[in-house]
Formats: sequence, structure tokens, C-alpha cells
Amino acid sequence: MGEIDILVRTLQQQVPAAQATTDTETLRNYTIDGLLPRLVVTPGTVEEMAQVIALTSRQSLTLLARGGGSRMNLGGLPEHIDVLVETNKLAHLLEHEGPDLTCHVEAGITLAALQAQLATKGQRLALDPPDARQATIGGLLATNASGPKRLRYGSARDLVIGLRVIQANGEIARSGGRVVKNVAGYDLNKLYIGSLGTLGVIVETNFKLHPLPLAEHTFLLTYTNAEDAMQTVTAILGSQLTPSALELIDAGAASDMADFFGFNLPTNGYTLAINFEGSPTTIGRQMDETRLLARRHNALMGDDLEGTEQERFWDVVREHTQGSLTCKVSILVSRIAPYLQQVEQICRRRNLEAAIVSHVGNGILYIELRPSDAVPRLVESIAELRMHAQEARGSLVVERCPVELKRRISIWGEPGSDFPMMQRLKQQFDPTGTFVKGRFLGGL
Amino acid sequence: MSIIEQPPIVTSPEYERMSTARKAEVVRELCLLLGDRHVLHSPYDLTLYEYDASIDRGTPDIVVLPASSQEVAGIVKVAARYGVPVVPRGAGTGLSGGAIPLYGGIVIVFARMNRILEVDYANLRAVVQPGLVNLHLSTALNPQGFYYVPDPSSQRSCTIGGNVGENAGGPHTLIYGVTTNHVLGLEVVTPDGEIIEVGGWTQDRPGYDLTGLLIGSEGTLCIVTKIITRIVHLAEAVKTMVAVFDAMDDASNTVSEIIASGVIPAAIEMMDQMILQAVEADTHAGYPMDAAAVLLMEAEGMRESVAEQIEQIVSICNKHHARVVRIAATEAERQLLWAGRKNAFGAVGRISPEFYVQDGVVPRTKLPYVLRRVNEICSQYGLKVGNVFHAGDGNLHPLILFDSQIPGEVERVRQAGHEILQVCAEAGGTITGEHGIGIEKQEEMALIFSETDLRVMQQVRMAWNPQQLFNPGKLFPRPGRCADIKQL
Repeated sequence: MGEIDILVRTLQQQVPAAQATTDTETLRNYTIDGLLPRLVVTPGTVEEMAQVIALTSRQSLTLLARGGGSRMNLGGLPEHIDVLVETNKLAHLLEHEGPDLTCHVEAGITLAALQAQLATKGQRLALDPPDARQATIGGLLATNASGPKRLRYGSARDLVIGLRVIQANGEIARSGGRVVKNVAGYDLNKLYIGSLGTLGVIVETNFKLHPLPLAEHTFLLTYTNAEDAMQTVTAILGSQLTPSALELIDAGAASDMADFFGFNLPTNGYTLAINFEGSPTTIGRQMDETRLLARRHNALMGDDLEGTEQERFWDVVREHTQGSLTCKVSILVSRIAPYLQQVEQICRRRNLEAAIVSHVGNGILYIELRPSDAVPRLVESIAELRMHAQEARGSLVVERCPVELKRRISIWGEPGSDFPMMQRLKQQFDPTGTFVKGRFLGGL
Repeated sequence: MSIIEQPPIVTSPEYERMSTARKAEVVRELCLLLGDRHVLHSPYDLTLYEYDASIDRGTPDIVVLPASSQEVAGIVKVAARYGVPVVPRGAGTGLSGGAIPLYGGIVIVFARMNRILEVDYANLRAVVQPGLVNLHLSTALNPQGFYYVPDPSSQRSCTIGGNVGENAGGPHTLIYGVTTNHVLGLEVVTPDGEIIEVGGWTQDRPGYDLTGLLIGSEGTLCIVTKIITRIVHLAEAVKTMVAVFDAMDDASNTVSEIIASGVIPAAIEMMDQMILQAVEADTHAGYPMDAAAVLLMEAEGMRESVAEQIEQIVSICNKHHARVVRIAATEAERQLLWAGRKNAFGAVGRISPEFYVQDGVVPRTKLPYVLRRVNEICSQYGLKVGNVFHAGDGNLHPLILFDSQIPGEVERVRQAGHEILQVCAEAGGTITGEHGIGIEKQEEMALIFSETDLRVMQQVRMAWNPQQLFNPGKLFPRPGRCADIKQL
């Protein structure tokens, strides 16, 4: 415990304002995959955060940042966590340049808090991952979280225009800037997004914003089989229609939504939820044309959702991407229907159940497998599902998973031909291994 | 002006030019690899490759024209063995000197790697080679109702490989984003001569987003040999309109208000009087020659949404005293208006022997102020300037006219350019929106990035390109530059 004690003492002297605790009971609340950090520090400012990181690095201790804690279990098993730094006090919207449709915000603010402030000027950040009330901007970016509306607005890489990131030695570096178009220097924003805290700690962000839509409408279609549903999707994607989200919900997920949330979706077959945003006129026309396309592909018309019911529906859909064992599969849109069949076959053969919600327009499937403690069957099934995803030019990442299973499977899959370059980047950014290892691809 | 005087961060080794004997050896090896026809090394053949569309020059020792990724990898291995710099070159339309071989060495030209390898309409993807001309991709996709979005004004000749290198934009990137928002994966050759794949056909691949990192890396990290892009459905309705203003400020305020109102058209381009006169003399597109500024705007998408956008835009233009707002009645008229805009740089050639184009970006609300400052700075230096630019993105392109035969003029142009970028940086903007840093804006990097910021970027270069054989002497501030400027 020597270095930790030295660090605590140094922190008390040099960064007295940052709260630090080594109390075991408190630390238990910060367990990650069964592992306890040895110290939790809560700096009050970006500068304090930088000092904490510099001092941790100087003691050759390891560090991991924590936002709202909603996705701390993403990734492989952490090797060793000495210091957990919390960003939740860095929660200020620093600037909202309304007429420029941009903002500058600290990383510890929750997405919901940010959206509430942006909404006062009729704007929003067009990112809709789950857990908006808990998840912080920094955490969302570090994990590259996204939601159904990425179909229209893209993901974090399309919305971040600048970052301030604390490096392994405690220095603060900026990348990008405040303007929506910028090619000065390397585009490090892209490198940090989704890097799971392995290269630096994101402390501030500049975003490109969107105006709140004039109107929004969701309607549901139901199908007896995935092929018909996917033909509708392909027809929509190849048309003039511009839906904000296209979500396919399978029977397993529909029955969860009925059981737990009281949504009455048919529990055999598939539900396709389509969200449109814009002016009432354009929404009206898009709904009419979608209904025509849907009839051609044997859809049954389901509910129309608006207002709070619509909001709650999408909250539940997003929530459903986070089971106790959830795989995120990214494949070509044209391969989704056959892939869903493969999932069904594998589950039947291995006596597992699946509940699947998919951002089908983007080719992204969230597959929850149950029971999550059937370790040997799950190990084989996940390997098989990954193989099929790779055949469809895609990938499978086990996003959420019990610790026992984590020890037995590869979370990210085998690294590709570009992995040596990733290792070299990690070596340059974090030569002494300050940022906790083990969680990212290939143990980075 | 402190930036120019500050001690530069030393980044690049200074390469010695190859001796004649060594060059002969390298040429022999490359000929074995590619065949004699595809290795150019006589002074006569090399002259064509010593310039691009910037104001810098540099003569390569050898120019090679590979036909495959394997050949590119072979070239890189030879270069690495002899310690010779390698510079990739698309069509040489770059404006920041990205394709200039500062230290000589080998220039790789992609003219033979210009094929569309695969188009998958169901999944909205195309796979192309880097030498493919940007417009040729859209031309191939149009009959099926699709196109490739980024459309630099040089799209008739620039290549997609070059676009990836510079993260190119264009007038229509306002709603749809620039190259990095459309490219999903790359095949690249590393400085070790390895062929690797980054990104791919699908989104959110595990690991670092190397595709995002490499796009816009200006040839300093890797050589791109294959590109996987998104393709997009052509819109059912496109309306192009021209709003004419008697005061520059009215035009800039119109842009600010359009963006602030939340209407985001497909394009908002601004041209000032000097440009209008040049363009009209050249293209006869019907632009008014006596106006202070014109906005060329385009709305596209569904008919209903286009109609709504047009209505809002027209009312904002009128509120800001537009003399007239004209909507192109026919496709021919629309094409002509765009031809005028896209040929604007060329048209300026009619009124000045040379010009220098800057590429700063500012928050859109700062446009009126910054445009005034641009004009003040140029008049202080006794230089004429015209503005033709992507107003909707806040991406300025002041064209400073000059004649290099006049002693001291080039120096004044560079100084004025520097001051303009300083104003952009101070207004919260950046020094390049789409042209890249290259050689041109190396010193200005310090206007927006601290030493720490630059050091972190250098870590990336150290990870990828530790010997700095790929496009050396670019992107970062470099020693000796300050002396260069003073000598000019």
C-alpha cells in the first residue's frame, strides 16, 4: 500500500480541494467486474484533475476515469485499478453558442442535464444513447455510445468538433476546435472517441448541435417474419424518406417490453418502429409513403405514438440494449434477416433465449442472451455468432456480461492487421502504463 | 506577429538529396518492380510533378506509377531500405503543398490505380482505388440514382485518394459532412511496407478509429491504396437560388440568421463583387456584376421540405435587404450557376496573373466582422482580395491577387495571409477548413495549438512514421521556415 499512501498524502498537500477516499465500504460502490479501486478521487476542476493524473503517473500507479458509472463494465477484465477519478464535478455547460449551433461543455455533465440546458434555446445534441440521466458526456464519448437516431444524425464521431484531453503525464491537450469544419492537424477527436480511457481522460468537449425538430412521430409495423420487415427497411433506405430511426424489435424483446413496461407489442414475429422528425407536412408525406411500402411487404399496421408515450417507448427500446448479457453485432444491412435466423438456430440448438433490438438502418443488433449464467453454452454460442458476424463483413462485441463469463470469452474478438499500429499508438500516448489496461481490444 | 519569430519545434530530419549513383540504384530496383515505363526519372519527365496548386515547388528524384497495392508496398520497402522520402500524389490540385516533395525522393502517382472496385447499392457502399477522380464516382453512380457526397470544387480532376489525404470538403458538405463522414474503411501501406486494413464495411469496429485518424493526415502517416465509402441516394428535389445584396454585411448577416434559424440548406456559398465580375466575364451565368455580394444557396431533399426551406430562406434574405432573390427555373440554369461558382478560382486568372487562396474557418456569427477584417488587412498591404467561399460552414476563401514579378509582393501576400488566419484564430476559428496544413500553414499551427497539443500530434506521427519517410517536412512547424520567408 506504500505508493497509495504517498499519493494520498501528496494529494492532500497539493490538491487539497479534490476529495479522496480509501474507505473500503465506499470503494465497494465503485467495484468494476469484481475489482475494487484502491482510491477514489473527485477533483473539482479540470486543473485539479490534471494534477491528480500527473501525481498518479509519477507514483507509477494506474488510473481509470469514471463518469456516471453506467458503462464501467464495458470491455475485458481490468488488470488492476489503483485510482478511480470521478468527473462528476466537472459538470458545467461552459458556452452555448446558440446562433452558431455549437456548444462547449465539461465532460462530467450528464446527457440529460446538457439536453435540458440546450433545449432552452431550442437545440439539442443529436445523440440518444441509453441512461441519459446517469451517463455523462465523457463516458459516452469514451465508450462511443449511441442510440436509434444515429441513423439520421450519425454517432459521436460526426458530432464532436473539439476535445480537451488530459494525457498520461497530466498535461492537457486540445484537439479540433470550436468550428464545424476543421482539418488543422491530425483528427485526434476520432482517436479518443471510443478509446475507453486508454489514451487520455476527456475533460471538455465542443459539439455541433441540431435544432429541436418541429414535430416528431413514431409508428409501429408488425411482421410475421424478418425478411418482410427487412425488405421494408431496404425499400425505405433506398427511397427519398429520411427517418430518424428504424428499430427492429424481435419477439423476445417485445415480450420483455410487454412484461416490464406495459407496452403491448405482438410477442410473435417482429415489430418495426419508425421515427420521423421534421415539419408536420414532411412527416405526413413520409408516413403515407411508408405505409404504402409496408403494405407491399405484408406488414400489419400497429400503434402510432406521440408525446410522452413516444418518449417512453424509445426510452424502453434504448434500455433494452443493456441486458445482463448483451452482444452488439454490426453487420451489413442486407445480411440482417439471415443473421437473425442464425441466431434463432443457435439458440434453439443450445437451449438459449434471445431478445434482440436492432438499429436496422445502421446494421447494428443488440442481442441479449439468456440465461446469462449458462456459461459453457454461451461461450460456444458467442463464438459462433461472432463467426457469422465476421462472415457478414462485421464484428461482434460483448458489451455487457457477467464476470464469470468474461473470464471465458473474448469481449472484442481477435484484433486485425491494424492492431500493431494501435499498440504503437498506446505506447506513444501512455508509455508508462498509467491508464488501466486489460479492458480494451487486445488488452490495450 | 510573434508566431513567426517563436523558436519552432524541431520535427523533421533534413534529408540530403540522393547522389546520382544512389538514385541510379533506386531507379534500377523500382524498374524491376514496376517495369521501366512506370518509373520516371529524367529531368524532363519530373518537371510536371514539381508543383501542385499551391505556391510552393519541389522536384522529386523519381516518380513511380504503381498499378496495385502490392506494388505500392514494394515501392515503400525500397524507399525504406534506402532512406528515401515518399510523397503520394493524386491529381496535384491541393492548395497547401501536400503533394510537393520538399526533400525530393519518390513521388507515387496513382493515375493507374483509378478503378471502382465494387458498388453495393443494397448496403450503400462503394470500394474505390485512390486514383479515381472524385466526379467519376458520382458519374458512375448517377444512373442508378446515387452519388458520392463530398464535392470539392476541383472534383473534375482531384482524386478520392487525395480527398482522403486532405479530408476534403466542398460546397455540399454543409449538411452531409466532409470526407471523414463518408469514408468507413481504408486499405493502407505503412512505412514498413505492410498492407493493413483499417475500419471496414460496417460501423463501430472494435479498437481505435484509425480510419478517422488517418483521414486528413496529409500523407504523413500512411499511403492509402483502397477506400470504402458510403454512397447516398440522389434527392428528388433540388432548388438553387441566388440572392443579391448591395452590402457585404447584409449577405453575411443573412447567412448567420439562416443557420441560427435551424434551416440547414445543402449549400450556402458567398461571392463578393470582385469574384462576381471575374466569374461573369468567364462563365456568363447571369450573376450581377454590380452587386456587393451574392449568396448561392441550394435546398435539396423531399419536395415538401425543399419548398419549406426556400420559403424560410427567401424571407430571411428579404429581411436583410436582398435586392433580388432568384430561383433557378431550369436544370440548365442551375448547372450554369454552379459552373460559375466552381470555376471561380480559374476565372480569377483572367484578372490577375497569380492568386493565393486562404482557407480559414470562423464561427458563422463572426462572418461579418471577419470579412471586414480580411478586406482591411489586404488593403493595408496594398493587395486586392476577392471572397468566394462556403459561408454556411463559416469557411472563408479569400483570394489574394498578386504578381510574383513585383519585388516583395509574395512576401506581402504571405504576411497578409498570416494575419487573416490570426484573425480567424482569434475569432474562435481555425486556420484550415478543407485545404490542409501542408507546407503552407505550418507556422500557423501555433496560432491554434499549444506546444503540448502539437507534441501529442507528434506522438501519432512517431507511432506510425518514426523515420519520417512519408511526406517529411509537412504539417508541423519546422525549423528554417522563418528564414525562408524573409529571403523571399
